[in-house]
Amino acid sequence: MSKSLAPAQSSLRSWLLVAPLLVFLTAFFLVPLAQVAVMSVSDPEWGLGHYVDIATDGFHLRVLGDTFLTALIVSLCCLLLGFPLAYAMAAAPPGLAAAMMVVVTMSFWTSFLVRTYAWMVLLGSRGPVAHLFSWFGFTAPELLFTRFSSTVAMTHILLPYMVLSLYGVLKRIEPSLPRSAASLGAPPSFVIRHVVLPLAAPGIVNGLTLVFVLCLGFYVTPILLGSPREQMVAGVIGQQVEEFLAFGEASAMAVVLLASTLVVLGLYHRRFGLDRLWG
Amino acid sequence: MRLALILFGAVVLAFVAMPLLIVVPMSFSTAVSLEFPPPGWWTGYYAAYFSDARWTTPTLNSLGIAAAVSVLTVLLVTPATFAVVRHRFVGKGLVNLALMLPLAVPHIVMAIGYYAFLADIRLLQTFPGIVLAHTALSVPLAFLVLSANLKGFDRGLERAALSLGATPARTFLHVTMPVLWPGFAAAALFAFVQSFDETVVALFISGRDTETLPRKMFDSIRTTADPVIAVVSTLLFAAVAVLVIAPVLWRAVSRRRSEARP
Repeated sequence: MSKSLAPAQSSLRSWLLVAPLLVFLTAFFLVPLAQVAVMSVSDPEWGLGHYVDIATDGFHLRVLGDTFLTALIVSLCCLLLGFPLAYAMAAAPPGLAAAMMVVVTMSFWTSFLVRTYAWMVLLGSRGPVAHLFSWFGFTAPELLFTRFSSTVAMTHILLPYMVLSLYGVLKRIEPSLPRSAASLGAPPSFVIRHVVLPLAAPGIVNGLTLVFVLCLGFYVTPILLGSPREQMVAGVIGQQVEEFLAFGEASAMAVVLLASTLVVLGLYHRRFGLDRLWG
Repeated sequence: MRLALILFGAVVLAFVAMPLLIVVPMSFSTAVSLEFPPPGWWTGYYAAYFSDARWTTPTLNSLGIAAAVSVLTVLLVTPATFAVVRHRFVGKGLVNLALMLPLAVPHIVMAIGYYAFLADIRLLQTFPGIVLAHTALSVPLAFLVLSANLKGFDRGLERAALSLGATPARTFLHVTMPVLWPGFAAAALFAFVQSFDETVVALFISGRDTETLPRKMFDSIRTTADPVIAVVSTLLFAAVAVLVIAPVLWRAVSRRRSEARP
């Protein structure tokens, strides 16, 4: 194995090892993906009609705008909630930190459907949140099937991605750095803002990118928990196929969704390199 | 400020944990729909889950599909990972990108792609169709896990075996495999869980006879809010708890044992 092969020979052998997987991915991933692109300009007839529709009619533009806005809100909520949690985890003694990590990883691994269902119970008209409202003498507003409920649930579902990427960088910060800043007289808020935050920046960008991209394509939670009147792109794509068998229109929307995702990932890649994103 | 941040972090931890914990009491509740706190307690919905073929069949379907997916994924990804991690070759960057691509494409995009594609090759609503689709989607995670493992592997071990006269095949079986098996197991597990949880693609390409558990759960949540959902959720949650906590405990126990033996 360590015998040095001529570069061409070694290249050939590497390609033979990679070949089965590449053939598989081409046949069962790239071809179906290409089919989406083809359907978007060929179903029911050839032309760019679907794209013109998306760019001109109000409905599609509003859905796209809503989707981006939701993804932005969810990413920022994840950062605002995730940073304190990751910070507390990094500051906790090892045993406690491990226990907190167990909670976060368990949430990470628990099916989206289970977590979505849990939010249906929590926010339902006979759930604990509604009870809390009536306990204080208020009638609970309709929480379920609104933009609020789907945003809360998506934030909860995507939060572990943010926490795990923040924890990774916060844990690596040399403890002497914030300590020496403090010993030189910097107040704690100054240390966090000017020492910890800049050092955590790569994790913050990572987490925001991951959450944003995953949220753009979210299907299950907005459909089960969100308002039927304020759908996200993925939901509209599914509806076009399921209810109207409008493959062309659905495919065009899918291409736009895919392009948006790839633009975000591409920007990240140019600046930081994609292989760092999934750690 | 520091203390406030940590306290707020504790509140967020409760926010993370609470929804997970609420499904457990829900599964023992007598409520016929979403009601919390439960009006009474029983285990009737557990009996209902285990005796109802409308739930057990999708569960078995999903287990079978996920098992096939994890085997197929590891078989395909292992040689490729060895090539990418250990060798330099022309087009390696491209291969790397191709292996990660399924992670970048939203599942709803692939769902309609697979719907059309599998219909063309007559595999729509069949087990092979679902296995093929899920395997493609599992490749990036398995590749990430396996390559992280392989990068940490000390090749000196292989060189020693080879220089002592072992054949490459023997070296792989008796030196490389025993060291790397946790990596293989982790990759297989990631593929298994990915397939077992995958909802969006399965919603579009599985049929009445090939229904997967997430599809059944989705339909059930969407249409009836069947209380059995809480039972399934609790069982899934328990499985995750075992998977996450077992390695932590194992590490803690083995650390204590090695400390006890100075």
